[in-house]
Amino acid sequence: MLEAVIVSGVAIGAVYALIGITYNVMYAASRVMSFTSGQLGMLGGVFGAWFILRLGLPVLPGAVLTLSACALVGLATEIVAVRPVLASLEKHLYVLSTLAFALLIQQFVAIEWSTEPQPFPRLLAFGDALIDQKFWLPLAACAAVIVALEIIYRRTLVGRAFLAIAEDGFAARALGLPERRLRMASYALAGVIGGLAGFAGGELMLAFFANGPLLSFYGFVPVALGGLGNNRGAIIGGLLLGLFQQAASFLVGGLFVSVATFVVFIAVLLAAPQGLFGAAAGRRV
Amino acid sequence: MPLHRRAFLAASAASVAAPVVIRPARAAETVRIGWIPALTGASSAPGIGFNRGVILAAAEINAAGGVGGRMIEVITRDTQGDPTKAVNATVELISRQQVAAIWGPVNSGEALATTPLIARNRVPSLHPCVIDSLIDPAKYPNAFRIAPAGAQWEAAVRHYCLDILKVRKVAIVGDTTGYGTTATRDSVADFTRAGADVVYHDLIDATRTDVTADVLRMQQAGAEAVIPWSVTTGLMARLLNVRGARGWDVPFVGHPSLGSGEVHRLLDREAYWDKVYLVGYRSCSYGADGRLPARMQAFVDRLRGKVDLADTTLWWVAAGHDAIRLVAEAVQATKSTSHEAIIGYWNTLTSWPGLYGDYTWTKQEHNGYPTEEVVMSVASSFRDGAYALAPGYS
Repeated sequence: MLEAVIVSGVAIGAVYALIGITYNVMYAASRVMSFTSGQLGMLGGVFGAWFILRLGLPVLPGAVLTLSACALVGLATEIVAVRPVLASLEKHLYVLSTLAFALLIQQFVAIEWSTEPQPFPRLLAFGDALIDQKFWLPLAACAAVIVALEIIYRRTLVGRAFLAIAEDGFAARALGLPERRLRMASYALAGVIGGLAGFAGGELMLAFFANGPLLSFYGFVPVALGGLGNNRGAIIGGLLLGLFQQAASFLVGGLFVSVATFVVFIAVLLAAPQGLFGAAAGRRV
Repeated sequence: MPLHRRAFLAASAASVAAPVVIRPARAAETVRIGWIPALTGASSAPGIGFNRGVILAAAEINAAGGVGGRMIEVITRDTQGDPTKAVNATVELISRQQVAAIWGPVNSGEALATTPLIARNRVPSLHPCVIDSLIDPAKYPNAFRIAPAGAQWEAAVRHYCLDILKVRKVAIVGDTTGYGTTATRDSVADFTRAGADVVYHDLIDATRTDVTADVLRMQQAGAEAVIPWSVTTGLMARLLNVRGARGWDVPFVGHPSLGSGEVHRLLDREAYWDKVYLVGYRSCSYGADGRLPARMQAFVDRLRGKVDLADTTLWWVAAGHDAIRLVAEAVQATKSTSHEAIIGYWNTLTSWPGLYGDYTWTKQEHNGYPTEEVVMSVASSFRDGAYALAPGYS
């Protein structure tokens, strides 16, 4: 029974970790915590089921279209909910604008898709029992995103430009970097990562409009635990959260999972306000 | 002819007053029945099913000449599953439309809000909602239930588990909604009173994405049967998927949603629907010969080509049909649409032969559905809105 708890905990933890990275990628480009992150995860499942099950597309084109659609939603987030409030970040208007946009997405999906959970297609023709693909696909997606981000950030010019605006947008602009385009590209990238979380975890979570708020909620926990902007922290925090949830559910029952999760969450933040793996960045002045 | 001021004023007054005078006469031409289902929104499936029976019954009665020459007029208001909209619709039906009786709402949450309101206005009311407290002849002498109460569902599940399946150790789970919480609590108390060993009981958040740990706990507790109380198809499917993936061969016996097409679509494998039994009704169940009881079979034969049963449940259609007939017959028998007359007539019914069941009401008991009609059905046997009787029934 222990292995079942671990396997399911790691799987759902990987989805949380990917949503945490989605938060981070958006935050790095704009200093905005966008609450559309969970909705991107929900859309990954819904678009995947729509393209593959309803429209009958093969898995690969279905996956490409799903991630492209999520990238567009990421772009729309930047244009509709983030850009108009960037000038007054200190007023935290982005909380309202991104929450409103997230709600808009969720209601639209509820009306146009369904208010009931819908099946998600089986993506591969193998995998059963404990190594069922619905458990290891989210973990594989998580690993793929880590590798891809490392390559983009360390090996490409665009990736270094992302890091530059994340470090200091003003200085980056002064150096001639196209900050707005880079921010839009970051949001599109976040859309792809969020969509991949929902697509890889689709069999686990089903194509369900109500997954959005749940993922926004639990995807935020690894960000806070791992330190804002710290992707490695988000991954470790996400996996730990998934494992903790499943273990708590097994040991104390499902009703107390949320309580147990947030007791630990608050205790960690009281002990380490910067998160377990984050630290206030030192700046040379 | 010269137009005098007095004649002009008299004519004007008459033209204004005329509709007022005429309106009650026109209203008297039809028998108005208020119908408040949720026809759109998340919880609209039952309302859509009931509505098919309502439309058919009204059409059949009117085609046969109506009630004492008066046509049935069903005034429908879609609540979208929202209690506030249900209350607004109720107020309108009572005060503006002045209906003879109200059928619905069909969701317990809405009925909790509308029942006291309808009772205050003493309007005859029929509803199929399962929450026990919605029927109380002392508080709500106007309200009659034409479906089983929650306690009757629980009794059927308990009887099947303890007397037919012969299991003693059960796990009882529900979702965290008001219904799930209440049903789980009552079910635990009933099973314990009956001498069963409730080895596990818990509530599960309906939006939980993975219920592996919950199923493991039930398995570890040694449950021989699982009794789930939830209308959430996603939760039901997840529980069945984990049971199947772990090869845990215990029966699931519980809420009618276990047999819904939504649950079926979400199952990882067809075989995961085996040994799943839902609350059903003898009147709407296929026997060993694959046929429905004679009265229901005749109804289904009559429905062919007129009412689609593939995407709904037969008992919803039948109960909707019964509700309109119950109002029509009360008006026919009492030759009145007065609220007191209709309530008085319903209080005298003994084994009134409906399609869905034979209803019996008295002044003291407004739960009219016969308990022996509530049985368990095989989830995977769904065909034309009905299910086969679960093994063990004769």
